[in-house]
Amino acid sequence: MSQSASREPMVSRALVSLADTLVDDYDIIDMLDRLVGYSVELLAADAAGLLLADPRGQLHLAAASSEDAGLMELMQLQAEQGPCVDCYTTKTPVSVPDLSKAADRWPRFVAAVAEQGAYASVHAIPLRLRSEAIGALNLLHRTPGSLPDEDLALGQALADMATIGILSERAIRRSEVVNEQLQTALSSRVIIEQAKGVLAQHSGLSMDAAFNQLRGYARAHNLRLSEVARQLAERRLDPARTTTPATRTERANPG
Amino acid sequence: MAEFGPATRALLAGGGVNGHDDRALAQRICQACIKGLDIDGAAISLLTASVARETLWASDPVAELLEDLQFSLNEGACMQAAATGSPVLVPDLGEGTEMARWPIFASAVSERTPVRALFALPLQWGVTNLGVLDLYRTAPGALSKSQWRDALSAADMGALMLLHLRTDPGGIVSSHDGLERAWMNPSLGLHRAEIHQATGMVLVQLGVSAAEALARMRAHAFSQQRLLLEVAQDVVNRRLVFSEDMA
Repeated sequence: MSQSASREPMVSRALVSLADTLVDDYDIIDMLDRLVGYSVELLAADAAGLLLADPRGQLHLAAASSEDAGLMELMQLQAEQGPCVDCYTTKTPVSVPDLSKAADRWPRFVAAVAEQGAYASVHAIPLRLRSEAIGALNLLHRTPGSLPDEDLALGQALADMATIGILSERAIRRSEVVNEQLQTALSSRVIIEQAKGVLAQHSGLSMDAAFNQLRGYARAHNLRLSEVARQLAERRLDPARTTTPATRTERANPG
Repeated sequence: MAEFGPATRALLAGGGVNGHDDRALAQRICQACIKGLDIDGAAISLLTASVARETLWASDPVAELLEDLQFSLNEGACMQAAATGSPVLVPDLGEGTEMARWPIFASAVSERTPVRALFALPLQWGVTNLGVLDLYRTAPGALSKSQWRDALSAADMGALMLLHLRTDPGGIVSSHDGLERAWMNPSLGLHRAEIHQATGMVLVQLGVSAAEALARMRAHAFSQQRLLLEVAQDVVNRRLVFSEDMA
């Protein structure tokens, strides 16, 4: 298959677009959201999520390819048990080509996946920083099977990109930045959830549609995702103003 | 997951949270940090946009002066932590990069206090800012990895305790045991997305702040003898809508 050849322009586009988000004072959540989107496209995954560890080593969802309730549930479950936790603690990729055979290892996670009936294989790739891991990139596929080595390498490159994004260039000067940024990403995520609730209630949307509206408004107006979320949850931004149609094409064709 | 560090253990050892005395609670949080971490003093200040700046408690005159300096100069680690909602860690105030972040504040601190290291941790729950925990040390140096973990965990716990005071439907958490069971046990899901999503929905339903929305959900859970997470899931699944006349 000539998948790698046809994929090349897409890979460059993704890397350029991600590098573009790493400008001064950028929004970590926005960057991670784009990165998860590219992971799905480039690695032919059906869903992806990015989990970050808090200082106690507890994983939390930071970004997902869809805010659909089923996927959110699987991601939240994986904060406690599953390939992501193992990937994070061992700092190495964890591949599960056939989830149905992994019930002994992760009974609750496998049961939840089986109940939803949506996914058959899972891959988790660590976000590594020097000798440590700070989180994991999680890829879900509807069909069973291993990820080709080439895809695994590209997945690791995307995960490294996320780590770089979290570090930012300031980290070269200040090692404290990693700790500060990780905490910021985790607390921004809570605010995003609150803002999704605001939009879901105001416009009668599902949580997934609410997030798309939030993201669409932020991008259309060139605003930081987490700042728009904060304004909504603090009732400083009228939810009615965010109903401008979202342009999802931006993600596939940046710039 | 990981075990609690000495500061968090000291904070929990104080038992449940009673009454509505946030100054007493601020004192307890600061003292637990001083006991458990390699720091010399601590203070907690409230500096939200809507509330006047106010130091809830300071462990000593130096800690008090640090807060006053930031308020009057309108810059510093604590001010930045409050404005951005992110922790601000300054292991060495005398270092060039740190001075450049807040030139006036850094020089005032070095002239008027023996403080060399400063760590400001926001106490927050989503958009609800409950204060900033300021820790200082007279010797420069970063917190170790385990201390950082412990400091954040104590700040998290402290924030939940303060949030509890603000949103308590009435006396459910009077013992340490009750505090863990009813409020802070992670398996009960205070960190679950549904709680935050429901908070956003209820604040629109009632036209109130996020903290008030949480208070109303807690009151409802309490009166119906249900878990907060269950109430939140009902809200998210649109089986429950809050209105003014609800208990």
